[in-house]
Amino acid sequence: MKVFTILLLILFFSSSNAWSSSEYEKLEKRIRVLEKTKTKSNASSTATGLSNRFNPALSVNGLLLGTFNDQGNYDSSKEVRTGLKIQELEIRMAAYVDTYLRADITLAFEGTTDFEVEEAIAEALLSKNLSFRAGKFLTAFGKHNQLHTHAYPFIDLPVVNEEILGEEGLNEIGVGASYLLPTNWFSEITFQALEGANTNQFNGRAGSDFAYLIRQNNLWDLSEETTMELGGSYVSGKNNLDPTSTFDNKTQLVGADLTFKWKPSGREAYKTWIWQTEFIGSFREQTQEGWYTSLQHQFAKEWWVQGRYSGYSIPNGVNKEDKNQWSALLAWVPSEFSAIRLQYNHLNQKTADENQVLLQLNFTLGSHPAHKY
Amino acid sequence: MKTYKLKISILVLSFIFFWVPVSWASLNVVTTTSDLASIVKEVGGSLVKVESLVKGYQNPHYIQPKPSYMVKMNRADLLIYQGLELEIGWLSTLIEGARNPDLRLGQTGHLDASTGISRLETLESEVDRSMGDIHPSGNPHYNLDPENGFIIAQSIYNKLSELDSENATKYKSNLEKFNSKLEKKIIHWKNLMKPFKGTKIITYHKLWSYFAKRFDLNVVNNVEVKPGVPPTTKHLAKLTALMNREDIKVILQSTYYESDFAKMVAGRTEAIILVLPSFVGGTPETTDYFSLFDTIIQKLTNNLQPST
Repeated sequence: MKVFTILLLILFFSSSNAWSSSEYEKLEKRIRVLEKTKTKSNASSTATGLSNRFNPALSVNGLLLGTFNDQGNYDSSKEVRTGLKIQELEIRMAAYVDTYLRADITLAFEGTTDFEVEEAIAEALLSKNLSFRAGKFLTAFGKHNQLHTHAYPFIDLPVVNEEILGEEGLNEIGVGASYLLPTNWFSEITFQALEGANTNQFNGRAGSDFAYLIRQNNLWDLSEETTMELGGSYVSGKNNLDPTSTFDNKTQLVGADLTFKWKPSGREAYKTWIWQTEFIGSFREQTQEGWYTSLQHQFAKEWWVQGRYSGYSIPNGVNKEDKNQWSALLAWVPSEFSAIRLQYNHLNQKTADENQVLLQLNFTLGSHPAHKY
Repeated sequence: MKTYKLKISILVLSFIFFWVPVSWASLNVVTTTSDLASIVKEVGGSLVKVESLVKGYQNPHYIQPKPSYMVKMNRADLLIYQGLELEIGWLSTLIEGARNPDLRLGQTGHLDASTGISRLETLESEVDRSMGDIHPSGNPHYNLDPENGFIIAQSIYNKLSELDSENATKYKSNLEKFNSKLEKKIIHWKNLMKPFKGTKIITYHKLWSYFAKRFDLNVVNNVEVKPGVPPTTKHLAKLTALMNREDIKVILQSTYYESDFAKMVAGRTEAIILVLPSFVGGTPETTDYFSLFDTIIQKLTNNLQPST
């Protein structure tokens, strides 16, 4: 009886095992085939960052600003005085137009009524490595000048940018080409032919007084975690100086920038160091020059602490001036779509020194194209 | 003499500037994630040179679009990415900046590896950003289901043999080799995981859904309250209570997350935190797609309690 039971058991189990190993594999294969054939038409938008099918990717950046300034509170002409305002509202639309063109438009409201076409760019890849653009754009002069207001590392511009290029920066109508050089590291050369309308530096008397820009920038990976970027920019154009003046009406702008960035591998969400320095000089009937250097440190997933020094001077002539600004900033960045930032500025200047405290709420709605590095 | 010197210096300069390393492999492939690179290596063999932009120990959500990646993509014949919005924060900037017409959407050198994958956690209903870093088109961590390896490998094979039809038969035999090895491995892994069927676990981020589904683990909750959003104390208290009540002993977490919150929970329960690689190269011993699962499953089987 025992032997019989054992035999039966062996038979039962061996057959069931035989069934399970071969049939099981067959079933597995059938499942595999089924899983392969199951497809969905739901298109993903990872590749382009654009959604809504053929509608442009639409986004709005809102910058709400509260300011305290210990000087000039009764001076209504003053840009930075105590009060609340909408610093800027940027509406952005970006999409491919057709096989050849991509368009990227940014409309900006400053305050509640001032409207400006901040950028309207049509861009095409002409051949491998060579891209072409036309429209109105933040020109490739240095690093800071290429940023939209919501992407500024601090709430305001460095003094040197504000004094030399103006509140709106070197933002011009023109055409440009940029070429990625076939080097082992990232190296790019950019030419831009511009209307030359910047009132601080150009704005020549003739309509044909164009300005021409060249920029060359390079980026090296110093290690897996650290990069170094080095760039140089030059613009030449005509300003609106009176022809009877002893000086010619030519303006030359020179810029140099150096940026180091660090992010720890495997902990990229939690820590960052960015050190950026930029020199800007304007050479015409008078010389204007200055620089800024800023250090940004992300010390926890949602927290940044930053410092900046910016100096500016007119070394000679009747307008001789020398001033500098120290800034400190603390930011809480709960997600990539919002931030609350608190900044302190101390401005040393010929008139009374100024102390400013700025508090900004920065938010992004919608499908915003990824920022540049 | 002067012109001679000038000519020499121009020659030297142009050599420095325009020298690009020559590779004998017929196809130059760039992938975003290391799992894709590993499978390209299996299917392409020595005919293909492949590099992954993101290393396995890096968090693919937080990669910066470094211009040095653009240079790699500029020289590539083929870009393969994981898709389902995993790379949404940076890939579009890289594709634009690479200035390589072949890699653009709809071109021959552009491959979305998520094509054909059965997606989990797709959100057909209304979504908005109050829900955290959600991926409405599906959870992008499908590489952690080894069955998806077959689908990825098939897509890669199709693309390689399209771009390099001369070597299609070689790719075909590589693909078959890979498939039969993966088939055997999956049976082995399933057997190893069998005793832990239905085990309840907690994960830090919704990263293990595909893995858990394939190997019958029951993910009860996550440490993150919403994807990408750190937990509140209330959520942690709820989680602690849940884990004590249901006797949940394990928290799974990828190598690239800080484990402060998981430690808080573990301290108030008897749970252990298992830090596991979630991509090839996440830990040094995960050198390819097979050893990734070998490592994960070995760590799990050593630490999970068999469900009886």
